[in-house]
Amino acid sequence: MSLEHVVGLGIVLFAVGAAGFFIRSNALVLLLCVELMLNAVNLILVGFSRYLHGTEGQVFVFMIMTVAAAEAAVGLAILVALYRLLRTLDMSRINLLKG
Amino acid sequence: MIEAVLFWGLAAAAVASALGVVALQNPVGSVMALLAAMLATAGLYALMGAVVVALFQLIVYIGAVLVLFLFVVMLLDLKASAAPARAAASGAAGVGITAAAGWAAWVAASHAPPAGSPRPAPGVFELAFDLFGRHLLVFELTSVLLLAAAVGAIFISRTGKRRSS
Repeated sequence: MSLEHVVGLGIVLFAVGAAGFFIRSNALVLLLCVELMLNAVNLILVGFSRYLHGTEGQVFVFMIMTVAAAEAAVGLAILVALYRLLRTLDMSRINLLKG
Repeated sequence: MIEAVLFWGLAAAAVASALGVVALQNPVGSVMALLAAMLATAGLYALMGAVVVALFQLIVYIGAVLVLFLFVVMLLDLKASAAPARAAASGAAGVGITAAAGWAAWVAASHAPPAGSPRPAPGVFELAFDLFGRHLLVFELTSVLLLAAAVGAIFISRTGKRRSS
């Protein structure tokens, strides 16, 4: 297990999350994919923290976790409001901003 | 040896459950697959010596964020989406974006100084000293962020009935 292994695994996880974000059409799964991408970045940061013997990577991870929690709270509130308005979470039918 | 076995096992579990998040049609299944991915990642954190981060992953991500997701899935009564997936070509766009970002991470990794004598990973003491010393302002500012997010979430999700009265 070297730094390259951890970075490679993080890149693969991020790619799966990013591809899912563009492929799936359920807005809730889109938020899950965002969490997956944040998780991949956290993994890379902890890997750098481990192999460079610094604490900054782990401090960054704490901040990212806080932002992810805030993002999940606001994002899910938006989803609930959208569902009340449109009765669907299908991204192809959420086109309120389309001119 | 045992470290390598654990790493590859947890890595395979993480990638498999990440694929499950994207592939499963039922939203509850997606949330459960993400839970498995988070558990595997927490194991990887612990394997790398970041025990505090692993515990926070368990408490914050699995205990709070994913439970919140599950609540919303149950609340909204989402059916397994019959809607067709969007074009797979746009998935290639996601992989392309990752390739660009991943190249930067890879360059940073290859410029990292070679690991010398194996020193212990930064422990709880060093982490707390750093977090409440050099990064104290950032740490305190995150509480403002959380407060703003909580107030914003309540404001967005309230019904409009009360406003008219």
